[in-house]
Amino acid sequence: MTAAQLVALSPLIALGLGAVLAMMLAPLPNATAARAAAAGGMGIATLLVMLRTGAPVAAVDSLFVDDGLARFGTGFASLTCLGALLYLRVGVAAKEAPALVALVALGASALAGAGHAATLFVGLEIVSLALIALFAFPLSRPALEAGYKYLVMSGLASSALLLGMAMIFADTGSLSFSGWSGQRPLFALGAALLLAGIAFKFSLAPFHMWTPDVFEGAPAGTAALAGVVSKAAVAIALLRIAGEAKMPEPLWRDGLAALGAASILIGNLLALRQQLLPRMLGYSTIAHSGYIAVILATGVPFAGEAVLFYLAVYAPALIGALCGSALFGTAPTLSDLRGLARRRPVEAMALSTALLSLAGLPAAGGFIAKLYLFRALVVTEAWTLLIVVVIGSSLGFYYYACFILAPFLGAASAEPPHSRRPDRALLMVCALVIVLFGVAPMLLIDLVQTVLPGR
Amino acid sequence: MALIALFLLPVCGGVLAYVIAGRGESERWVTLATFIAMLLLLIGIVAGAPDERWMARVDLPWVPTFGISIIFALDGLSAALIGVAAVLGIICVMASWHEIGTDSGLFHACLCWTVAATLGVFMSFDLLVFAFFWEAMLVPSFMLIAVWGHGDKEGAALKFLIFNAVAGFGLLAAVFGLASMADHMTFNAFELAGIKLSTPMQVWLLLGFSLAFMVKLSIPPFHAWLPEAHTLAPTAGSILLAGLLLKTGAYGLFRFSPMLFPDAVAVVAPYGIALGAAGALYGGLVACGQTDAKRLVAYTSIAHMSIVLMGIAAGVQYALAGAAVEMMAHSFSASALFLMIGALYERTHSRDLRDLGGLQQTAPRFAAAFAIFCSALLAMPGTANFVGEALIVVGIFQVNWMFALMALSTLVVSVVYATRLLKGVVFGEARFKGAFADLSWREYGPALVLAAATLIVGLYPQSLIGLVEPAIKAALVSPSP
Repeated sequence: MTAAQLVALSPLIALGLGAVLAMMLAPLPNATAARAAAAGGMGIATLLVMLRTGAPVAAVDSLFVDDGLARFGTGFASLTCLGALLYLRVGVAAKEAPALVALVALGASALAGAGHAATLFVGLEIVSLALIALFAFPLSRPALEAGYKYLVMSGLASSALLLGMAMIFADTGSLSFSGWSGQRPLFALGAALLLAGIAFKFSLAPFHMWTPDVFEGAPAGTAALAGVVSKAAVAIALLRIAGEAKMPEPLWRDGLAALGAASILIGNLLALRQQLLPRMLGYSTIAHSGYIAVILATGVPFAGEAVLFYLAVYAPALIGALCGSALFGTAPTLSDLRGLARRRPVEAMALSTALLSLAGLPAAGGFIAKLYLFRALVVTEAWTLLIVVVIGSSLGFYYYACFILAPFLGAASAEPPHSRRPDRALLMVCALVIVLFGVAPMLLIDLVQTVLPGR
Repeated sequence: MALIALFLLPVCGGVLAYVIAGRGESERWVTLATFIAMLLLLIGIVAGAPDERWMARVDLPWVPTFGISIIFALDGLSAALIGVAAVLGIICVMASWHEIGTDSGLFHACLCWTVAATLGVFMSFDLLVFAFFWEAMLVPSFMLIAVWGHGDKEGAALKFLIFNAVAGFGLLAAVFGLASMADHMTFNAFELAGIKLSTPMQVWLLLGFSLAFMVKLSIPPFHAWLPEAHTLAPTAGSILLAGLLLKTGAYGLFRFSPMLFPDAVAVVAPYGIALGAAGALYGGLVACGQTDAKRLVAYTSIAHMSIVLMGIAAGVQYALAGAAVEMMAHSFSASALFLMIGALYERTHSRDLRDLGGLQQTAPRFAAAFAIFCSALLAMPGTANFVGEALIVVGIFQVNWMFALMALSTLVVSVVYATRLLKGVVFGEARFKGAFADLSWREYGPALVLAAATLIVGLYPQSLIGLVEPAIKAALVSPSP
């Protein structure tokens, strides 16, 4: 291994060292040290990525590519994991939690740079295994259910993934994405299995069943990891596959489009009647995965730009919404939220801002993300998908509007639970980022354009 | 840049009011100061304007990737409407000084943001930004009704929101459709006005735009949201709804339909006039049957907005000038009536014409002001409403005398409901037995300002028509005979 390769891997090394250090510090009576170690690892990784912006593309054998996309993914994962760590609350027992969060960041970073099936699989597994432990840690019934569901379905997905990779390897003789090409049946079957495995991690319908339970039952903060970090990493991996491999068409794109359309409809429909805020977010995240999958399926030249933009505005919105949900009780219902603006005006406004962005309404970054989606569909004249997206978004407006407006309506309810300062700070930061990206989207668009390969 | 400042003033004023609320009456003063500053800035812009089509313009790229820019432009029509917005803002703060006790910070923020969003509507020439403000104004006005309204306020607010948001999607879809016709990605209305479209395509797009405008104008059969929203809203909400929000629909029709779809307007115009005539008759007749004073005024709004629609659809110079005057005149008279009915309700806790009456003895100031606005309601010569309606009828005569006769008949109906309202509240036997304090300066001042505006425009209409002349010229689809 050369020095250049070590430098290229340095953010991942920082994340790994942070995780190991956090694990070693976990037995200490005070959890702060472990938290600091994990946070330090993620902070250093972010810094390293920022320093390496614009550096030439480096490849570590064929396993890992260190290009703009990978750097974006690593920085994104580190930052969001840092945010999630801030409001992570997992019972008393879980001093290992910070280490697990750092592992999620590590796995996601590996996925973002994966140019090879082995890295793809290892990255996915690191993320999934760490998430299973995080979900189940409070050992409460809902948490165990969430963890167990995820474990079983993740195992299933992993086997599908492995089988798919094996078939692809048998057919093309390559594990590198760049060697994947052809139209033969074995390759097509492998690709279908690969897609199914990825769809599970991406919480696309019909592989979505675990998502709402995780959002409802798992500790605050871990849902953000599942909803944002692992989703972003998988989306980036899909982007890379689309860029480097020649997947059997129309199977790959049509499959993605069908999964995306199903997710949009199912996610939005099931979210419609939810009374619990986190559960609603769980269903809405399925719909958002669908939107991203649909963008990927169109294969427009600006798909990468659109997906990265979508992810970058989705992250603060979902983290903010989940953080706001955690601020107002473990799993606030619609009626719990009523009148909250009287007790906590600023927090209520920030929560509404986050939901506004998820709904894709203007002044929030989500609006521009929706514009990308509509543009991709109009450019490719994918009218069926456009209709699905319009129906889905319209349904979305309804259930988001209920939660957006609830804090401002009705009489003041009982005093909400005491809120910790870091939670409030995180919520504020998320709301500000959302508004910033909504008001000045060119900041983010420019960043995303410089990150993408071939520009 | 002045226009950006003009828009940012109420946005920031609202945020400030929200944040500093709870310290005495600070949020009320902040909001008041915001609107006064807005008015002064507007006067400054208009006074220093060059003698051109646009008094001021800004064009800033916002999201070049999508061809979205911030294009604000101000002409006489926009300036007049924004002036009304600022004045109504001031009046709203004064009218709700005692009415609004709870959450007054949020209330004043919603006032500011409603005004800010309508300002965006009145100035934007980037259609996407226009559509954004179109939807954005719904949220704070929804809150005004849902939080501080009366009775089944949340139901009324939801109805308002759903009607207008769904219609807004029609606008948004048409905007996207229009933008996709251009050879490059742009939402700039000036550029989009230049592309040649087939007439059927224009008609479809115009229908998308008009759906949003008609619902906001509450032209029957799109009016179902209005009576409840107006009746159950707090006084300030009713004033803003009638004085400002309804005008955005008229403004949109006035500004964008002839500009973007000139051929389609000629095709659709007769239907527009017919719809307006039917709406005016319907609104007037239903108003005659109301016993709730506020509901009665709400239905007169439907009638008057239908008359405005007739004027705009007629598309000749007289009718367009009349529509512009009628828009302002309705803002003055309807807002003033809502203000005074609000004051009435504060004192008597009733708006039922059967429980009121005889106020000319106990409250002469109230009675005098109420009489002025009731005469404005029936378009008495000398009031701005007369000028507006007379010009519209004259204009329609040039187009089609049948429709003109229908328009005239609605004027007869207006006499019935206006005198009923006047008699029910002010004259006759005094059925309200409690003590009735006459209007305080806080209520009388705004009423006087609005009365003065009604009379000035009524007696010297050129003051307003001269200001909106360029906008009228631009909206002419066929040269006037």
